[in-house]
Amino acid sequence: MQSAVELRSWPTARSVPSGRVFVAIVVLCLISSAAFASLLPLQVSIVTVFFFAGPHNWFELRYFLMRLPVRLGRSRNFFLTAFVGLGVLTLVYISLPIVYNATTLSEDAWSTVIATWNTALIVWLGALVWLRSKQKPRANWTWLIPLGLALCSLNWLGPNFFSLAIVYVHPLIALWFLDRHLRRTRPAWSRAYRRCLCLLPFVLVGMIWQLSHTPSLADNNGLFWRITQHSGAEVLPQVSSHLLVSVHLFLEMLHYAVWIVALPLIGSRARFWDVKTVPVARHPKGFPRLVGGVLVFALIVVGALWFGFSIDYATTRDVYFTVAIAHVLAEAPFLLRMI
Amino acid sequence: MKALLFACCVVFLSAVLANADLRPPIKPANQNAAQATPEPKYILHTGLEISTDPKAYEARLQISQSQLQNFRAALDSAPANPPVVGAIAASAPRTIIAGLLMFLAVSVAGVLLARSSFGRTQKALGTIIIVAVVLGAAAIITRGNAGPPGSYRWRNLPQALAKGEPTTGGVDIEVVPDDQLQGRMRLIIPLKKQNAPGEE
Repeated sequence: MQSAVELRSWPTARSVPSGRVFVAIVVLCLISSAAFASLLPLQVSIVTVFFFAGPHNWFELRYFLMRLPVRLGRSRNFFLTAFVGLGVLTLVYISLPIVYNATTLSEDAWSTVIATWNTALIVWLGALVWLRSKQKPRANWTWLIPLGLALCSLNWLGPNFFSLAIVYVHPLIALWFLDRHLRRTRPAWSRAYRRCLCLLPFVLVGMIWQLSHTPSLADNNGLFWRITQHSGAEVLPQVSSHLLVSVHLFLEMLHYAVWIVALPLIGSRARFWDVKTVPVARHPKGFPRLVGGVLVFALIVVGALWFGFSIDYATTRDVYFTVAIAHVLAEAPFLLRMI
Repeated sequence: MKALLFACCVVFLSAVLANADLRPPIKPANQNAAQATPEPKYILHTGLEISTDPKAYEARLQISQSQLQNFRAALDSAPANPPVVGAIAASAPRTIIAGLLMFLAVSVAGVLLARSSFGRTQKALGTIIIVAVVLGAAAIITRGNAGPPGSYRWRNLPQALAKGEPTTGGVDIEVVPDDQLQGRMRLIIPLKKQNAPGEE
């Protein structure tokens, strides 16, 4: 109920484009993203990550701050579990490359380490779902228990495939956020948006159909190799890396478009840099300085990221995609709060 | 006498011709060397179709480019790209954990299904379980050597060849030392001897 009230009081835009314009923009985004991702996957991937990776994290952080209640109240355990799990899982994930370089674990042992981390992630998500379900007594989420167990099982069968699945599923979560946001703030657009989403599988099938027989991308330099590896070229060697990079890039572009364009434009009457638009900062018992400080610090990090990309793109990309697991994890509790 | 000598020559020459493609018998002195022959190297499992083409002048064994690349990688002692399915559950402990978790998942799902009232949730769960069972059975049959043996699919090969119909079945590709094949490829079909009607 609290979240519903918060979303109803979400600032609305002064000039609201019509539903048809919204649909046209969504369809245009889908098709143009697919076209760019298919035609120039490596080049567009480099440019997209350079320009939009950092800013999309900033907008995401701001969105999460807006969704944070001033007083945790009944959600105290939920947020405590969320933040502790987020911190621990992120730290362990960041330490994995260091452990990998410091030790001489066999491939099998390393797969077990990855499977363990993935299991911890699923357990954490399960705990969040359980805590959230206690706040929604009418909702029956018990069927998520066998689903979670089945996911754990699949993860232990192929930890690398499970990790790769996270890479591909994560961009789609942004579309879910937008759906929940539209449903509460622009119900008239919600149905049109869902119809637009029906196009997504067709676009994906079209891309797979067109690119499945294309030769793999030349990954003869470190940067191109990193991009193809991130898309799963090593895990799925039988699949053309052109297809993998294009599909992943397409989903990433949609992800960035949602966080940087759609969500800020749909619900921002005020300027997005205005700290007072964040409820935690605006409230008399809130923390305006803390929120302002966090947002300014995040802005500095975005600048540092651009600087790093300019100096050494490949290394910065590696560091970014390792640390970026934090924002992947952070989406889970806030999405659960919206369901 | 001349006839006997001629017959002996014919038998001798025919034996030489007939045995020309066989590996010479291993001498006792070379037996240890023969035992040191490396074991056949397993590269991949793929499908094989044997069909007839009345217009063809020569028989052909068609191998895809990717298979050829796998061959080349194997010959270069470089690790070939493992098949996707082969990369799943290569470890016994992980397979055990996965099996236990899947057992728990199916059990809990069954309990929930039994306890829930008939409705959309039950239908959805039932559908998920059926799909999981079908996928699991398919995986067991295709990957776990469950189901009929490989020779089952080749059992009607002679009749199919006689009728000019294709036969499809599994085939393992092995790399053996050159001296065992003498530059040829050998296709071994797992066919049991079929007695003609009236034979015991």
